Amino acid sequence: MEKNVIETDVLIIGGGTSGCLAAVELKELYPNLSVTIMEKAHVDRSGCLAGGMNAINAYLNPGETPESFTKYVRFDSCGLVREDLVLSMSELFEYCVKKVEKWGLPILCDEKGNYVPRGRWNIKINGESLKPIIAKAAKNAGAKILNWVTATNFIMADGKVAGAMGFSIKNGNFFIVKAKATIIATGGAAGIYKPNNAHDAQHKTWYSPYNTGAGYAMGIRAGAEMTSFEMRYIGLRVKDTIAPTGTIALGVGAPQINSKGEKFMAAKYAHIGGDGAPTPYRSHGPLQEIKEGRGPVYLDTRHITAQQARDLKSAFLDMYPSMVLYWAANEIDPSKEPVEVQTTEPYVVGGHTQSGYWVDVNRKTSIEGLYAAGDVSGGAPYKFVSGCWAEGVIAARAAGEYVQKTGFAQIPENVLKDEQERVFSPLMNQTHKIDGINNYDMEVRIQKIMEEYAGGAATFYEVNDERLQVARRRLSTLPDQFKYLMAEDLHDLMKAHEVIDRVYVAQVLVEHMMYRKETRWPGYCTRTDYTELDDTNWLKFVNSRRDPETGNIEMFTRPYEQIVPGDRYKPR
Amino acid sequence: MPVIIHTDKCNECNGSSNPPCVRMCPGDLWMKDPKTGKIVMRNASDCWDCLPCVKVCPQEAIEFRLSYQLGFQTARLLPHIHNTRDFITWELIDTNGVTDKFTIRTKVLPVELDESIEGVTPAEYSI
Repeated sequence: MEKNVIETDVLIIGGGTSGCLAAVELKELYPNLSVTIMEKAHVDRSGCLAGGMNAINAYLNPGETPESFTKYVRFDSCGLVREDLVLSMSELFEYCVKKVEKWGLPILCDEKGNYVPRGRWNIKINGESLKPIIAKAAKNAGAKILNWVTATNFIMADGKVAGAMGFSIKNGNFFIVKAKATIIATGGAAGIYKPNNAHDAQHKTWYSPYNTGAGYAMGIRAGAEMTSFEMRYIGLRVKDTIAPTGTIALGVGAPQINSKGEKFMAAKYAHIGGDGAPTPYRSHGPLQEIKEGRGPVYLDTRHITAQQARDLKSAFLDMYPSMVLYWAANEIDPSKEPVEVQTTEPYVVGGHTQSGYWVDVNRKTSIEGLYAAGDVSGGAPYKFVSGCWAEGVIAARAAGEYVQKTGFAQIPENVLKDEQERVFSPLMNQTHKIDGINNYDMEVRIQKIMEEYAGGAATFYEVNDERLQVARRRLSTLPDQFKYLMAEDLHDLMKAHEVIDRVYVAQVLVEHMMYRKETRWPGYCTRTDYTELDDTNWLKFVNSRRDPETGNIEMFTRPYEQIVPGDRYKPR
Repeated sequence: MPVIIHTDKCNECNGSSNPPCVRMCPGDLWMKDPKTGKIVMRNASDCWDCLPCVKVCPQEAIEFRLSYQLGFQTARLLPHIHNTRDFITWELIDTNGVTDKFTIRTKVLPVELDESIEGVTPAEYSI
């Protein structure tokens, strides 16, 4: 295998929503810095935005402030968030949105030129080409792009992150990128649990199936502190297509109803906002209806006009075209019949919930030289697109400042050699025709364990200590099985590392779910042995750190700090 | 199979070594078959239905269908990018062959038929 060695001032891992904005910010502030993006696909259409986006879902519409936004996010996260992080990202929403609009993103405006609000925090966009637009800005700014290089581990030197290693899925070269500062922006993790659909629709998922937790896994292996993995994301989505429901619920004001036509959210969850209840309750509510025999559950769209139905389809075409095809392929008219919904596989994603790296307000992680932004970064839910942009900007500013007073580290040769060997061993196994397993078999194995013992959809996302113990034990055997993984080609090799990364994420996830002995987010993680929310003992963050030497995962807590005054369970 | 390629329409971008559909798939699923030179999908069940490949094909040779378990034949969806690059018209054909069209504002950037694989083999990186 050929080796490519690169030196760059700042390395950004992941050229998606956060990474591109980070690159632009760095080059604007420090034109002389070299900035390199390491991206596993092609920046033009990689990450969560590949299909497009029809709204900016975190924006301060007229009358709203960073404080009112933080209050809302705190309410939506059942009283527990890193308020410092939410405040700091919301202060940059306008800066980021205006910037991307300047790059060419069409945003819907009224005749006075003001953005058209959709609810308190949303504005409508025509974002079919949003990803190529921000990728072009990163290229124009002068960032060097390494497309099709999948990151596998950080380069560790003297306890600091000194860049990262990876390999090209196109030519198999081993990449060593030495950096003074590194920003991890690889997104969250799908495919930890059994997907909603099977067979040739197994990747008909809401979250990008190509975001497989690489950034989490790299941090876990390096001993970075992680937070709140137990706040999994389980979204309410349109049945079968797993399309987002915000477009319908917010777009045309559609309440949830059960098979009897009852508006159960309004009836049973009025005290926390009914159909506007915190997001976990909007999954928990319908799950209870289904569990108690009143499914299917729908979003009631029967009041909308034919024109509104057309507008709804247009909005989906900007973001999730398969929704429109699904209606056409099943003779469904959403203005005549309600839209059936279901809940997703559990995802680990810090942009909707708050699983990820434990960071300070500058998005610096617990390891020197490493910053985290976007879905991979923890503590700040409700980021969506604009919050990920804001975090990219914040991390870039901090990393840019850091590299002014730091140099390249001395890297021990064995770090590079060991990783090269680890990375390519599945290919060698294939060559030597060992009695091995393929990545798909291991993926199914981990998904089966997680689905059945760690709160998958089949068990209504419920967990208890005994079930989690089984999951822990079965997962603990998997790392010893990595040596049997075989890869026929480089695409296969990428998938082998995706499944390896998922195992590390799953192990940490199980520990987190086991440690929090309360049910703070029903629907996301319902504990049948600790069914209540318990502010007396659990109004704090559950954090973890895996010891790189022993592999033991240490669990501990960090205190919650209230910055914005007011009732933590109220949206205003 | 979620997307199908019409081999009669696909001209492999006139021998491009790195055609747009192959470059734009975020899952690395389209590839040029080394033996036949044809564009093939590695594994249709890994497709996310995100459609960059459909939108970027200069021949409009790739068509979006749903997996049969999710929708009946022969409903399909075809995006047409306007020459001005400021609009996209989606042609939606339902199971009865009835066509509907949606024209939506956008900002499509030009995509080259071929593009050197950025960063993968620059000589200065080799040791």
